[in-house]
Amino acid sequence: MIPTAAKDKPLNDSPTNADPTAPQRRAQRSTSSLLAYGEPMLWLTGGALTICLVMIIGLLVLIFYQGVSTFWPAPLVQITTIEDRTFMGEVTREEIFAPAETVFTQLAPEVAEQARRTVAANDGTAHRWLVRIGNFELTGDHFNWFSDFMIRDERRPEWAVTVERLSWGRFYGIPAAFLVDGAVVVDTSAQAWQRYKAHHGEIRKRWRQRRHLETHAIGKLNRQEEAARLDMRTALLEHGPDSARYAAARERLETVQRKSEIETAQLREQINALNTENSRYQLRLVTADGQEKNLALEEIVRAFPANRLSVTEKTAIYLSRWWEFFTDDPREANSEGGVFPAIFGTVVMTLVMSLAVVPFGVLAALYLREYAKAGPLISAVRIAINNLAGVPSIVFGVFGLGFFCYFVGGTIDQLFFSAKLPSPTYGTGGILWASLTLALLTLPVVIVATEEALAAVPGSMREGSYACGASKWQTIKRIVLPRAMPGIMTGMILAMARGAGEVAPLMLVGAVKLAPELPVDGIFPFLHPERSFMHLGFHIFDLGFQSQNSEAAKPMVFTTTLLLIVIIASLNLGAVLLRNRLRKKFASGVF
Amino acid sequence: MHSKQILRMVMACLAVVLMATLPAMAQMVDPNLKPYTPVAGVSGSLKSVGSDSMNNEMTLWAEGFLSFYPNVQIEIEGKGSSTAPVAMIAGTAQFGPMSRAMKAKEIDDFEKRYGYKPTALRTSIDMLAVYVNKDNPIKSLSLQQLDAIFSKGRRGGAGKDIRTWGDLGLTGEWANAPISIYGRNAASGTYGFFKENALFGGDFKDEVKEQPGSSSVVQGVARDKFGIGYSGIGYRTADVRVVALSPTATGTPVEASPENAYTGEYPLARFLYVYVNHRPGSQLDPLRREFVRYIFSRQGQEDVVKDGYYPVPALIAEEDLTTVGVQ
Repeated sequence: MIPTAAKDKPLNDSPTNADPTAPQRRAQRSTSSLLAYGEPMLWLTGGALTICLVMIIGLLVLIFYQGVSTFWPAPLVQITTIEDRTFMGEVTREEIFAPAETVFTQLAPEVAEQARRTVAANDGTAHRWLVRIGNFELTGDHFNWFSDFMIRDERRPEWAVTVERLSWGRFYGIPAAFLVDGAVVVDTSAQAWQRYKAHHGEIRKRWRQRRHLETHAIGKLNRQEEAARLDMRTALLEHGPDSARYAAARERLETVQRKSEIETAQLREQINALNTENSRYQLRLVTADGQEKNLALEEIVRAFPANRLSVTEKTAIYLSRWWEFFTDDPREANSEGGVFPAIFGTVVMTLVMSLAVVPFGVLAALYLREYAKAGPLISAVRIAINNLAGVPSIVFGVFGLGFFCYFVGGTIDQLFFSAKLPSPTYGTGGILWASLTLALLTLPVVIVATEEALAAVPGSMREGSYACGASKWQTIKRIVLPRAMPGIMTGMILAMARGAGEVAPLMLVGAVKLAPELPVDGIFPFLHPERSFMHLGFHIFDLGFQSQNSEAAKPMVFTTTLLLIVIIASLNLGAVLLRNRLRKKFASGVF
Repeated sequence: MHSKQILRMVMACLAVVLMATLPAMAQMVDPNLKPYTPVAGVSGSLKSVGSDSMNNEMTLWAEGFLSFYPNVQIEIEGKGSSTAPVAMIAGTAQFGPMSRAMKAKEIDDFEKRYGYKPTALRTSIDMLAVYVNKDNPIKSLSLQQLDAIFSKGRRGGAGKDIRTWGDLGLTGEWANAPISIYGRNAASGTYGFFKENALFGGDFKDEVKEQPGSSSVVQGVARDKFGIGYSGIGYRTADVRVVALSPTATGTPVEASPENAYTGEYPLARFLYVYVNHRPGSQLDPLRREFVRYIFSRQGQEDVVKDGYYPVPALIAEEDLTTVGVQ
């Protein structure tokens, strides 16, 4: 309390001491020097803040708008060109352009004449739409541009249906018939759609049942076999090929293999029964250009008659798409489906990183601030830490790869996992090594923030503690650390924000394009720190720059970015709440 | 060069059978390929390090494979073909997808470490396409023109350097517009293949904007009206146009269409390889064996079509399966 009061005093004094004639004098001076009056600086600082805010808010609004609108079901348009070809799909983008003469020379003469007239009537410019036409297995294209002078007819067919599938991307068509066991049961759009709705739910349920059997039941057998094989390898490596142990292990492996073969066969039978039941049902769709295609209901993730939906139905589809996005594994080389493994990987990695960086950073800062004697060595250490904060993150990635993955991981493999070699266990990128690399990267943030927090603890409090007979460590533990805790938490928040958004080093130490197996799961030993993982930041990079169907992946980039921002914000919010609780605890615990 | 000759020989006869009429994409897969049948006792983890052009292809194979064996762990890294031999020699990857054949030096390094050569599997066929913006009126280019656009030395024999679209005969606003060149980074197999076949081994110009991924090249050209770039045919989008190429300055231009890939007429057709570490005469472990079988199964080759590349015929599939001891 005392130092604050002392600080306040001169501040309070200045206005009361002011000369009553001062405003007048200042006004006089302002005519000679605008700068001295302070007005330009006000505008400069205010302007800088405004520009910052506009940029930040603009970015957030763009991401939010694009990210939120991606999953809203779009209507389907059917376009007939003047060359008499018909397409159907969703309009995704539009633009105005000035068609060059060569555009017309490629057309048939009479058609070209008509097109020229349309463009000429429009001051030489034309409008064009990018339409997602889907049906990749029939057309070989996902998207197509249509210019207005090429369009003869445009309509929205009532029964046009958007189909999201497990593979081959989207399909657009009009339901023509519903087939059971290959025979047409009903043959009008409305009836076929009714049948589809009646059967789709149970078929998807059977499909999920099948997936469960495959992942859990068969997976368990496979793991048992793998464990037995590893035991055999270990026995071979440790005791040689002629030992009794090796023979016993080999026999065990054979028993396990025989047993699992029988059980797998039984499970396969169950799976086949489910498959046979599911494959009985098919929906026949007719594309805009008249081709027929039978889709197995099992292959359909979601289908809806886009032009017949009410707002409530659209909202339901919108929400179900979000739900899929949050909870499902990615499909189709990550361009469809969900991002659950990436969400999980990001959160686990950030938490492990915080667990690693905070204790180390705090201990280091404690030594620097409390124990070390000021001198050239300590100054050098401080400068080194500050410089560390400026090292490009990819350099940390290279270091992590060389030190953690190859050196530490390689040694661990030699010592404990020699049976699995040459396939590395820890000797390659993994979530543990990624977390530790990022911990190194964010260490300076934590050290600097902690040092500041420790420095802000008033000397009088320490002195009081010493006066009561407390030792140095007792003082730090009981007096300094609790008081500095909110500041330390701030450091952690900053470290988490930096770490969660970092991508470059992760590409080297464990983030991969596809890793549906999670680093934490229900399989012994539950934690798998050696596994590679998916990361939202890397997922964004992958969608934006590596995706084959880049046009379809573009909206997903925004959605994933939005998700990443929300996750980082909520992790930070959690830390802020924790800090506030600590503050309160501290406030009530003192005096 | 060698691979191209094989392409020509095998494909020419098959093309007649397969491409009598232009079939829908899904029917491009050779009907003689066997559908994949799962076996018992496959588990463990796989890692693939290599080509960026094949990144999505590997992912699709992995997804398909996982639908049969959900407990297998597959990790895929794609930063360029040149990373594949390094990872395979270090033993960090079981599969090395590459969009070009391994160089002699890389094979030597591998042989030094293991005592035998790595095995190349020809998994699919790609056409290295030359992309321009969708509004670009250019009809076709010869390899010599490409060389003059992309390279410093013009080893292909072009008379003079090409710097503007006007040099290629375009008029109007294009006449004075400089060509904006997009390419891949040096770790990429696509870079190596293009350098070897379109630049006749010469060096790229310094102005080439080197992109980290195949998709980035296409997106760059899509945004840049005066851009030109090269990438696998699988990355084509509606925003870019594929230019027909003629092998000689006076030759007829060849469209980048499936038929021309199979007949080998398209000058920049190539195999996409997956390399495996296989001691000749030995058996692959069950996991790798099954993955290779999956790649050459009907499902695996359908995945190839999904990614925009072209499947290999059953003949090649059988031949390559035999080299790794799979019947």
